[in-house]
Amino acid sequence: MSRLAPVVIDNGTGFTKMGFAGNSDPSFIQPTVIATRDRGSAAKGPSVPSKPSFLNTSSSSNLASKRGIEDLDFYIGDEAVANSKTYALNYPIRHGQIDNWDHMERYWEQSIFKYLRCEPEDHYFLLTEPPLNAPENRENTAEIMFESFNIQGLYIAVQAVLALAASWTSNKVSEQSLTGTVIDSGDGVTHVIPVAEGYVIGSSIKSVPIAGRDLTSFVQNLLRERGESMIPAEDSMTVAQRIKEQYSYVCPDIVKEFKKYDQEGDKYFKKYDGVHSVTGQPYSVDVGFERFLAPEIFFNPEIASSDYLTPLPEVVDTVVQTSPIDVRRGLYKNIVLSGGSTMFENFGKRLQRDIKRIADARIRRSEILSGGSMRSTPMEVNVISHKFQRYAVWFGGSLLASTPEFYSYCHTKAEYDEIGPSICRHNRVFGTLG
Amino acid sequence: MSNTLRPYLNAVRQTLTAAMCLENFSSQVAERHNKPEVEARASKEVLLNPLVISRNDKEKVLIETSVNSLRVSIAIKQADEIERILAHKFTRFLMQRAESFVILRRKPIEGYDISFLITNAHTEQMYKHKLVDFIIQFMEEVDKEISEMKLSLNARARIVSESYLSQFN
Amino acid sequence: MILLDYHNRIIEDTLKARFNPENKPKLVDMSIVDFDGVSYHISTLENQETKLLLSIRWKCWPELIQYGAESVLKREYSQWITQPEVGYDFSLLFDLENIGADPEDVIRKVSLLKRNAMAAPFERAFDAQALAEKEEQWDPTTSQLMTIHYREGESIFIQNQQDRVTVIFSTLFKEETDRIFGKVFLQEFVDARRKPHLQHAPQVIYSHREPPLEIRHLPGLEDSESMGYITFVLFPRHFVSGQVREETISRIQIFRDYLHYHIKCSKAYMHSRMRARVSDFLKVLNRAKPEHHAVEKKLASGRAFRRT
Repeated sequence: MSRLAPVVIDNGTGFTKMGFAGNSDPSFIQPTVIATRDRGSAAKGPSVPSKPSFLNTSSSSNLASKRGIEDLDFYIGDEAVANSKTYALNYPIRHGQIDNWDHMERYWEQSIFKYLRCEPEDHYFLLTEPPLNAPENRENTAEIMFESFNIQGLYIAVQAVLALAASWTSNKVSEQSLTGTVIDSGDGVTHVIPVAEGYVIGSSIKSVPIAGRDLTSFVQNLLRERGESMIPAEDSMTVAQRIKEQYSYVCPDIVKEFKKYDQEGDKYFKKYDGVHSVTGQPYSVDVGFERFLAPEIFFNPEIASSDYLTPLPEVVDTVVQTSPIDVRRGLYKNIVLSGGSTMFENFGKRLQRDIKRIADARIRRSEILSGGSMRSTPMEVNVISHKFQRYAVWFGGSLLASTPEFYSYCHTKAEYDEIGPSICRHNRVFGTLG
Repeated sequence: MSNTLRPYLNAVRQTLTAAMCLENFSSQVAERHNKPEVEARASKEVLLNPLVISRNDKEKVLIETSVNSLRVSIAIKQADEIERILAHKFTRFLMQRAESFVILRRKPIEGYDISFLITNAHTEQMYKHKLVDFIIQFMEEVDKEISEMKLSLNARARIVSESYLSQFN
Repeated sequence: MILLDYHNRIIEDTLKARFNPENKPKLVDMSIVDFDGVSYHISTLENQETKLLLSIRWKCWPELIQYGAESVLKREYSQWITQPEVGYDFSLLFDLENIGADPEDVIRKVSLLKRNAMAAPFERAFDAQALAEKEEQWDPTTSQLMTIHYREGESIFIQNQQDRVTVIFSTLFKEETDRIFGKVFLQEFVDARRKPHLQHAPQVIYSHREPPLEIRHLPGLEDSESMGYITFVLFPRHFVSGQVREETISRIQIFRDYLHYHIKCSKAYMHSRMRARVSDFLKVLNRAKPEHHAVEKKLASGRAFRRT
């Protein structure tokens, strides 16, 4: 019997990508949010299904068990957002890590049965985890997946490694290596993660507090300051986001770019046409400097914030320099982009140029310091962009899960029943541990 | 029912309080080792007589004592198949989290559902009477929780089947 | 969400996006699944991005054809049926520039493809029963027992009789917990019908391990602890033509998934209960730990003194 395609789910802080292995796009992309009927106490942790009876001594002790199944009364993703008036929104993942297991378990429950429509007993699953995830979290995930859902097999992959695997589709990549630097920029935060031979170098990970959301609000501010009064206040965020996604690009030199706009503005200024979401009246907005200024805050953060000032290329360079010396060349050679906020035109090119500049300057300096007696081979810097960048992590997962070897990497249900959740502490792709 | 519960728990409480008289004790067998003797079982003279307190043939507590450690094993009431599976699930769930329950043993003693191992280190760092309280409360709550879970399972099943069948009306 | 949807959401979403003339035609190539081991393949033809091909593969397809699926599918999808794609059982081809009907309607129909294919044996049994009812001397040997091996180790049996149609599910519980939970659920299905407001529901009979009389003679029934048999007895009032009949077919089909979905939800619920309980136990245990007030000790000189 041919096996059914494995399920690939990438639960991110902001968005969850889910689908079946072998496809190039996830079937569903929706916010990682769950709307529940928590009675007021949404602020503090999990909703206790039935308060233990010794806490509220008398009659109300098993109210929940009498009424039965209000734990099925919830929505996830876009439907959750749509129902936010009558339900309380909860974000089960915080900073990449699962924060509320009750909500997460139910999130998965509905992802599988309502959206993907598959019987988990028939499938293998590939889930993702952030770098430096605690093994206990992995065990909890395995416990849910195997015990609640009876899945056939489970593989939990590190997001950065999957992003590396996804870059193999780019024609710039000559060999399929698992060494490289991953720049993962989503909605909330940007991480720079060095990976050597599939292992994340945890001590060198750096994060940059600039990501999609900051770019959007930067655009929004620019529009507001320029006095684009046509934009209805309640739509300004979405308009800013659209403008960012549709028109933004990275310029090679910010001063020259300003000049170009001043001289032949008609060529560069664009118009954004929108429709008022309430009244339905059309309006149009001029799109000017924000086209190149928005992504520029990665390279010159001082134009948007006063407390974070390190440009992204410099962060990448520091990350590589703090990694073990024998992998540094590999890390420079294979810098992989992942996530929606790396999608700007020429983003890769600019990043490559800037990093190269820093690396070359360092080599030159050391050559001078050595008095000209040392010569080193120039550093090869490659920033790799590819067309699956936006959902690189999911795509890498889909790629990995569609290989025949995938099944041998998985921890199966039989093994789980034999040994327990601790099997997930060991990753079989590398197989160095017993 | 509850008229036997109280004396049962009282007996456990008294026994535990008495048994929790533990002191630091180095191994007599291996130099510079200090192991819970009740687990190591290396020298007979530091072990005390184990004791079983049973409420009925299903619910009982085994208390094994030694000079520096004490082991409490509990057999939980399991009236039918559902309670058996729920008790099993619950104890396994707890033992999976033994790391945070410092006194919980990762495996139960054979014939029992869950075991605690209390060493002199624990009694020195924690209040003894509160430890006893914890075990007693645990015993009370486990039974309650399992029967509540069973009730809620039945309630769920009823709602699920009714909502399916009521579609035919 | 208590009840499961009947239609496939991914197909619905994909077709909705493709049928929308505002979206530019683009290359589509996706393989997805549905409950019960159904695989779909949605793709655009080579070099023709406006031609969308949707194929289905299901291991019980030959059986469904044998029970008349062809005519049902023809009735539903006549104008789009095409030569099945290699490796698949059945294919539909859409011209995105000319869908040929109300797109909404098409989307709804197509997302129910699996359901419609499975509807064939049901319809056949219902029709046969209707005929039998009219006869005065009905020959019981003419009743047909249709078996659909729709999942690995699990089957649906449908038999028509003079006054009723019996549908039997054999279901497999892969795990001890599932088996016991399943038993509780199925027992409630049997009992629920006794409720006054559910008198109209079909009768449900549940037997564990022991196959019901109707199918006992069949070869190849697995005999194991984890097998369960659920019988639905459908009377003509459950399948009067029109909406009622369609609904009944959809509903009975989804039964197995509904049951297993709820078993899993209960386990998830148990987990959340246990999590709450664990954190309460921890609180109690932590009461035993004396609180340490880190009092900073000072030396006589006034310098801080910290014991290491």
